[in-house]
Amino acid sequence: MPEAGRETGNRGMLAVDPPHLSWSSSPMDVFAPTGNLYAGAIWPEVVVTLTLLLVLVVDLVGGSAARKSLPALSIFGLIGALVTLVLQWQQPQLESFLGSFAADPISILFRGLVVGTAVLTVMMAERYIAQSGAPTGEFYVLLLTATLGGMFLSGATDLILVFVSLETLGIASYLMAGYTKRDPRSSEAALKYLLIGASSTAIFLYGMSLLYGLSGGQTKLEAIASSMGDAGLAGIIALVLCIGGIGFKLAAVPFHQWTPDVYEGSPTPVVAFLSVGSKAAGFALAVRFLATVFPAMTEEWRAVLSVLAILTMILGNVVAIAQTRLKRLLAYSSIGQAGFVLIGLVAGTEAGYASLIFYLMVYLVMNLGAFLCVTLFSLKTGTDEISEYSGLYQKDPFLTLCLSICLLSLGGLPPLAGFFGKLYLFWAGWQAGAYTLVLVGLVTSVISIYYYVRVVKTIVVKEPQEMSVSVQNYPETNWQAEGMQALRVGLVLTLVATIFAGILSNPLFTLSTQAVEQSPFLGFPTAQAFIPQSARLQVAVKGSLGSSAQTGEG
Amino acid sequence: MTLGEGVQLVTFVVLSAMAIGFALGVVWAPSIVYSGFLLGGVFLSMAGLYLLLNADFVAAAQVLIYVGAVNVLILFAIMLVNRRYTFAPLKLGWLRNGVTAVVCLGLFALLTAMALNTPWQLEPIQPTSSVLVMGGHFFREYLLPFELASVLLLMALIGAIVLARREFVIPQAGEGDLSLLERARPQLESESERQAELVSTR
Repeated sequence: MPEAGRETGNRGMLAVDPPHLSWSSSPMDVFAPTGNLYAGAIWPEVVVTLTLLLVLVVDLVGGSAARKSLPALSIFGLIGALVTLVLQWQQPQLESFLGSFAADPISILFRGLVVGTAVLTVMMAERYIAQSGAPTGEFYVLLLTATLGGMFLSGATDLILVFVSLETLGIASYLMAGYTKRDPRSSEAALKYLLIGASSTAIFLYGMSLLYGLSGGQTKLEAIASSMGDAGLAGIIALVLCIGGIGFKLAAVPFHQWTPDVYEGSPTPVVAFLSVGSKAAGFALAVRFLATVFPAMTEEWRAVLSVLAILTMILGNVVAIAQTRLKRLLAYSSIGQAGFVLIGLVAGTEAGYASLIFYLMVYLVMNLGAFLCVTLFSLKTGTDEISEYSGLYQKDPFLTLCLSICLLSLGGLPPLAGFFGKLYLFWAGWQAGAYTLVLVGLVTSVISIYYYVRVVKTIVVKEPQEMSVSVQNYPETNWQAEGMQALRVGLVLTLVATIFAGILSNPLFTLSTQAVEQSPFLGFPTAQAFIPQSARLQVAVKGSLGSSAQTGEG
Repeated sequence: MTLGEGVQLVTFVVLSAMAIGFALGVVWAPSIVYSGFLLGGVFLSMAGLYLLLNADFVAAAQVLIYVGAVNVLILFAIMLVNRRYTFAPLKLGWLRNGVTAVVCLGLFALLTAMALNTPWQLEPIQPTSSVLVMGGHFFREYLLPFELASVLLLMALIGAIVLARREFVIPQAGEGDLSLLERARPQLESESERQAELVSTR
């Protein structure tokens, strides 16, 4: 019975004075005793941080003997964080650290997505890092820090925390992109990512400073919302700048230029993390930021985002056709997939947000499955050219099965998980009246099926004499080598999940719907009972309800 | 206008003129070393503006971090990478400059219109020390970002070491040579690239 827990949480919150620590308060207020921090809300992050420090110390003290235990250590720590997240689901904490962080159901789900990505990335990375000769311990430290940044970003309700966690995620990602430092492609990727990331952060920061000024020095997202109603031109500029900053993390189309080069030049496990974990954190930020800060400008941000979604779907899927390398193809396909997910955000209804979360969960397993296959193939043949895959089914049926299932699921073919995810997204979009978006989505899905099936055809259909050189010299898989077992476990996990998450999708479906209903910041009817009596939130509720009713009628 | 306000106005005008002048110098200076030094001037004038706004801590941090660390780092980088390239002037270069100028002026006009038309919620500057207020904020509602920043700095430190560390054992090419496992595409050397190389070795 989750209601009871939430009510006690609220009563606790009301007992605490809302922090009137703005510039108008007298200086002595600074030293007044504060209320409860509700620090339990960040248990999962604490577990990840402890794991990070443990990995660092073991790597430092243990030497080369202990180095082999680091991936296992990281995985155990991340699974520990998942367990604490599950426990937190029973008793969400709607406000903690005096309004900096929220552990509401949506934040818990998104944090789970980031941690899940990190687990599979570690499985993928163990062998890759060992074979490329790069230092082991530091990689996991960077990966865990990026995970930490993504987790904090998913629950941040304060501009300062949003910025610091965004930077934690960003800087860790730049460093990981350049991790194979003797390769000029990797350095190029890191540099491009750093430069474009830094400028987009600056743009986002400019938007944030406008919000700070408009609200008279508030940094809490909720507190800003109340002064956005009559912000005029400055409000619109702030909105555009913030969407620019968020769009970089989502790789939505005008802000996507970094994606193909970074995906091609980074080590494959890093690409996997960027395409799923970083993107999930970006969507968490988008949902929370837009729904909390700009309820008064819902029409405007939906209009901007629908343009972005259409561009993203078209460009991502059309340009993917021309790619000859699988990593680059997956880069463009991930741009296109982000466009599909944006439909859920633009719809803005209960079903819209729920379908967004549901699709991200499905996308996690199928996309990471595809990257696991790409990693395994490049470990054994040293290439990711699509033409080099031809005839693979005769040499490695298991890899063929995994890659085909994951790619077909990404394309959205019926019995697989991706089909149900897309169906739900398009249905939610249609219900909300976003007809253009859904039609563009349908057409571009067909295009995406074409290029995914082309890869599958290369692998499966070719005659024995058409086999590529790499496949002819395909080595026997040595599953006993360091890190190969983890890779195999990851492959089996994602394969099973991709096949069955579609047919048995009900638990995931319930989970995402519950999260949307029970997160008060989105303001759907069932959550109203739990909203603290603050005028700002009521503004938020009115804004989003009014607009959803309008779009429903239209 | 009282004497205090007059002094403030004059200081503001002087500091703004310095900031704009130095910034123009950064862009127009013929040598990148001059640009680097002029950038320090921009940072110093910004620190002065912060002082004018009673933000003494931010002003001190600006001088220490931007002038003392960032700018010195930039100058070091310039000194270490001391290669001279001669770039051929671009065809239609004036067009690029023109478009850039139009975009920048448009942005400037937009932001000015915004700044003038918005009813900013202003509050008077407090007489208390900003360090005191900031410390209070750090340990109240900004406790979490403050602590997260420590993890961020730790990670940045480790990452910088990983990137800068010299690998003493360089294995054979192919296996474990710190490069991507995927082979690079064979590159076709273009005519312009070869020419650029010739210029740089001369």
